Amino acid sequence: MKFTLQSLFLKIFFWFWATALVTGIALVVTFIFGPGRVPMRWHSTLTDTARSSGMIVLEELERGGVPAASSYIERFEHDTHLRACLFELNGNPIAGEGCETFASMRFRAANSRSSQFRVQYGLVRVALILPGSGGHDYIFATELPAGPRAAFGMDAAAAALRFVVAFSVSGFICYLLTIYLTGPVLRLREAAQQLARGRLSARAATALERRGDELGALATDFNTMADRIEELVSRQRQLIFDISHELRSPLARLNVALDLAKGGKAGDLPFDHMESDLAKLNEMIGRLLTIAKLDTAPMQVEMGSVDVTEIVERIVNDAGFEAQKRDVTVRFTAQERHPVRGNAELLHSAIENVVRNAVRYTTVGTSVEISLKLEDKSRLLLAIRDYGKGVPENDLGRIFQPFHRVAEARDRESGGVGLGLAIADRVIRIHGGTIRAENVQPSGLKVHIEIPVAEPTSLI
Amino acid sequence: MDRVLIIDDDIELCELLAARMNGEGFEIEAVHEGNRGLERALSREHSLVVLDLMLPGMGGLDVLRRVREQSPIPVLVLTARGEDVDRILGLEIGADDYLPKPFNPRELIARIRAILRRTVRVTAGTNPLIVGDVRLDPASREARVQGRLISLTSVEFALLEMMLKRAGHIVTREELTEAVLGRKLGPFDRVIDVHVSNIRKKLGTNQEAERIKAIRGSGYLFVMRVEAK
Repeated sequence: MKFTLQSLFLKIFFWFWATALVTGIALVVTFIFGPGRVPMRWHSTLTDTARSSGMIVLEELERGGVPAASSYIERFEHDTHLRACLFELNGNPIAGEGCETFASMRFRAANSRSSQFRVQYGLVRVALILPGSGGHDYIFATELPAGPRAAFGMDAAAAALRFVVAFSVSGFICYLLTIYLTGPVLRLREAAQQLARGRLSARAATALERRGDELGALATDFNTMADRIEELVSRQRQLIFDISHELRSPLARLNVALDLAKGGKAGDLPFDHMESDLAKLNEMIGRLLTIAKLDTAPMQVEMGSVDVTEIVERIVNDAGFEAQKRDVTVRFTAQERHPVRGNAELLHSAIENVVRNAVRYTTVGTSVEISLKLEDKSRLLLAIRDYGKGVPENDLGRIFQPFHRVAEARDRESGGVGLGLAIADRVIRIHGGTIRAENVQPSGLKVHIEIPVAEPTSLI
Repeated sequence: MDRVLIIDDDIELCELLAARMNGEGFEIEAVHEGNRGLERALSREHSLVVLDLMLPGMGGLDVLRRVREQSPIPVLVLTARGEDVDRILGLEIGADDYLPKPFNPRELIARIRAILRRTVRVTAGTNPLIVGDVRLDPASREARVQGRLISLTSVEFALLEMMLKRAGHIVTREELTEAVLGRKLGPFDRVIDVHVSNIRKKLGTNQEAERIKAIRGSGYLFVMRVEAK
């Protein structure tokens, strides 16, 4: 595994790290810079502590002047790491270092002539007025340790603020991270689903490919794979189309040559056989071309408003002759009519193929039942049921593939070329529908065709 | 003897067809390329053209378009099986009928005969048909709308003649197909409909109203203008 700067590994690593860091920093920042108030119940003890230190400083001042006071404060700072400062009432610092940090507290203490309390940098700061000897007042300001409770326990509002900050900062960053990671996966999944549904031109967006991380590489690989699949499938379809196309010219010549050789005579056995085989070849090639056409250019199919009931009625009528020969009755029940958006000729040939199959395979003397109904006002359900032997269970899915034969001998005898159901399958799929077969009890095959009904607005 | 021009790039097929059709009383001239085919089709030496739409070079549809610009000669097009778009386009451009390839030669001969029968029969002198402002003269093969001459192909002429003769009555699509094309109407046969739509376009409307009405499920009707009383 290569860890480039763009790699997902490093991205996730740094993002999580950054989340932890930023949350921590945000907490520290609110902790330090959010000045807090000091609870009243602490005031007296804090005042006492500050006052006792302050009195010592004052004593030192009065005993040895400014240098003595300064050296005491210096020692105090050295021992406790806490700052302290002594001011005159008018604000001039007398002893202590960095006294400007207490400036605002000192100012307020001088004005209000009362003690001031603040929490800052995790320490309590106190400023109070000390009466010196001779009626001269001073201001003493100092830091006092307050412990962790200064940060959390003292002020519910401050604590809540810190929780909110921690939640929102980490939540927001994790939200961005999740979007960043799952977004492309979802988009890739969508492309994969489209591809699986047979839209071979489906690809992952190029924006995805440009990401440069593992997900980007996955998208690139996916697109390469899709290219390859599309190429293979289209090459195979093109091959079928080309073969059928190329076979047409010799067939056309053969048709004429045979007719010429016959010289208009009928009843010549070898010629009659040749003629019927030629007709079968013509038909097969026509159907193969239809399949290839539907596979390679389904977009070119002309769509209009089609009445399926009318089509089935016509098919039932036309199938009558063949059905009579086998003593088969074809029954058709339909509810009210519903237009479907589609190509009438293709739908006719699709449904006709299924019905003719049923008439051909149902047991002599039985019937073929066709029913048409609308479900959920959105789908037309057409079911064609025969009373034949049915199809072996594991062949059910394959009967819609070209040239798939279930009962070879019987099929040949009955004159099928093994393309009817393959055409039906493609036609129904082009109409956005599905076709499937199931064995029914006690015997027989039932083919279900489902076609979405056109939106009323899309019909003109 | 009828002279038939075949424009198809399959040389052997043309030879076979020539041999087959000679026996049926046709004289065949075969051309294997579009430009030359167009030139010969416009020579007025033939009574019918069989045109393969899948020609290399100048495509069959182009040849047909150029022929129709100058001549009403009957044209039967050979289309690829399954190429519905070509078939419809060919008819819209002005082909008289079509046959998918590979075809049965007897079928081809039957269709050629049917088209020629129309053309030959109408030359026998009959009186002009006049319905409203449309005038059709079978003897001179002239069609006029409001005195303006319009050019119709032979099949269109035959169709219009039939509808005019029975103006005000429905003529079924079956009748039209059998009489004009000499064959039975197939389940999704739209040849007649394309021809009628071409005739409509050429006739134009009469005071915003279509002259030929489509009667759903049965056929067509040439509207007799009801004179205001």
